[in-house]
Amino acid sequence: MKRIFETGNAAITEAAIFAGCKVFAGYPITPATEIAENMSRRLPQVDGYYVQAEDELSAMHICIGASLGGLKAMTSTSGPGYILFADPYGWALGSEIPVVVVNAQRVGPVSGITGAPGQGEFYLSRYPTHGGNFESIVLAPNSVQEAFALTVEAFYLAERFRMPVTVLADQIVTDGWETLLIPETPAEIEAMGLRVQPRRINYGPEFYPATDEIDVPPVVLGHNTGAACSDWTPTAEGFDTEEIEWQHKHAHRLIYKVRNHKELITRYEEIDTADNPEVILVAYGSPSRVLKSAVKAAREQGLKVGGIRLVSIWPFPDEAFGRSAKYLSVELNYDGQLVREVQRAAPKDSDIHFLGRCGELPKVAELVAAARDLINGQPLASIKWQREAW
Amino acid sequence: MDYLATKYLKTKKIPSTACSGCGLGQVHKKVLLAIDELGLATGDIVWGTGIGCSGRQTFNTWQGDNFAGTHGRVYAIATGLRLALPPEKKIVLTVGDGDAFGIGLLHLLHSVRRNVDMTVVVADNFGYQSTGGQYGYTTPSGSVTDSSPYGMQDPNWVQDGRDILDILRAAGAGFLARHTSVEGQNAVESIKKAIQFKGFSLVHIAYPCITNFAGKALGSRKPVVAYRWLKERTNPAPDQAIDGITFRTGIYHQATAGRPEFSEQMRNFTAAVRKEGQHETNGNIG
Repeated sequence: MKRIFETGNAAITEAAIFAGCKVFAGYPITPATEIAENMSRRLPQVDGYYVQAEDELSAMHICIGASLGGLKAMTSTSGPGYILFADPYGWALGSEIPVVVVNAQRVGPVSGITGAPGQGEFYLSRYPTHGGNFESIVLAPNSVQEAFALTVEAFYLAERFRMPVTVLADQIVTDGWETLLIPETPAEIEAMGLRVQPRRINYGPEFYPATDEIDVPPVVLGHNTGAACSDWTPTAEGFDTEEIEWQHKHAHRLIYKVRNHKELITRYEEIDTADNPEVILVAYGSPSRVLKSAVKAAREQGLKVGGIRLVSIWPFPDEAFGRSAKYLSVELNYDGQLVREVQRAAPKDSDIHFLGRCGELPKVAELVAAARDLINGQPLASIKWQREAW
Repeated sequence: MDYLATKYLKTKKIPSTACSGCGLGQVHKKVLLAIDELGLATGDIVWGTGIGCSGRQTFNTWQGDNFAGTHGRVYAIATGLRLALPPEKKIVLTVGDGDAFGIGLLHLLHSVRRNVDMTVVVADNFGYQSTGGQYGYTTPSGSVTDSSPYGMQDPNWVQDGRDILDILRAAGAGFLARHTSVEGQNAVESIKKAIQFKGFSLVHIAYPCITNFAGKALGSRKPVVAYRWLKERTNPAPDQAIDGITFRTGIYHQATAGRPEFSEQMRNFTAAVRKEGQHETNGNIG
């Protein structure tokens, strides 16, 4: 086991290399730039290629091209760059080409604050391209170590589901320094639960089965199989078509290959929920670490508080919200994004609230106070857009 | 498309869905002739296309491997693909004028700058024809189209002292040629040289759109009108008085000294870094 003191950006880099990534194409943007820099240093050492692209459209398309040729590829960016992936993301999604996308979320909207954490792409990560008719896979680490684990997992899921997978991090996770353990032996790899799926080749002639089947090898060009893939609606053999019937089959596949194998993706952590707490704090990413401390502090004060930390974001783990409770969604944004999904997933007699911060983490005492207020039936609003009954 | 179709094309894509009289078939045939005369097989080439008339009509016609990118992005896909493919595998892209000289120009220019080994065949029908006939970057100046009902006011890339090939040459393109679809073997020879060129190569081929461009800008949907119009503008003799756009065809530029090719350079660089013993260098590698 290699033990180093590193950033989330370094963890993501090492994880990609561990997973077999051979190509990284990116465009510099704070706070994700360091991933690109790390890849530029590390990839040539492992027979890989770093390409600094002319923009994000090109970055992800270069990754797609490399993946089409049989090499695992990753790109990374932050909010303003993530929206530019909308075009290539759709191509990779529709053509079922594996690629890993990292988004180090910062304060928005638009350029916002470059070096501070935000969580503004929760919904964008669900619908990162146009046209609908698909499900997305998104994983959200809350530590340097988890950034490593989930990046490895993202590559694994990308291969099995043959689609782009997003690692939705935030600036605190990517820029933060923590101890990082990198496994070196098979026993260590197994102990850490890391899975690596080698690239397989689709020799065709079927481009895709019109079912929810996974583990279908992706199209790899250059083997003279007559393989074809494109942005158009494909027939089973990859021919472009304008027929609704084929579009229906294609959409069904893109949606249900994810939905019907959700158990391979979904991960969340319940904190002190066994006694059906009155208040359940909900978060993903770096705020979820404050949440854990807040649950502990609240329990010490005799408050019946629990927490749910989401590790996988999409498909949304509705099953985590089966209990009736007062839910408080803690997010790094002011408009409330995760809270809307909690409201949708929780039982109808639940009470849903939102606490938003942006650019900085909420404080433990603040969450404990909010939980106490909810237990006592007090209104939360001190500043309307910061604390708001949903 | 006779024996070439049997030898190289997927029967499911024949006949093409192109409009009656479309000149794209002439362009496609020239590329296949070049491939055939070079003795290449389907396994030697990965064929990519964009969208629009040229992309849609040529996508997945090739019996070998195919891909189609969204409008303008196919050069970036090809750049990534180049890294993964064996060096001897050729990448041929058939794209439209809007794809290459409009929405994709940035990516095209950077593929040129990096000298990515690919052959781009720009099948130019003078504007956006598959969307109904709007003006583009090679539409003859003053043309009436569906989006220029009073005559096109927007300067194009091919008239009044501008030539897109000049820009590509300045960016470092090693092989550039221009032809029209009414030409014969000389166009095929240029495409052959382009495919053989190790590095970025581009052949710009103008062809007539009967349905939209000819119908609006030339005032007739009779193919004979469009073909006559193109033919009399292809290398007119000095004593011929031709108004408006004309096409000087042939090899525009062929580099004598080759620049390093992108993927070769990347492979050499990676090998050099590994040889150095997996530590950072002062940047003198490669």
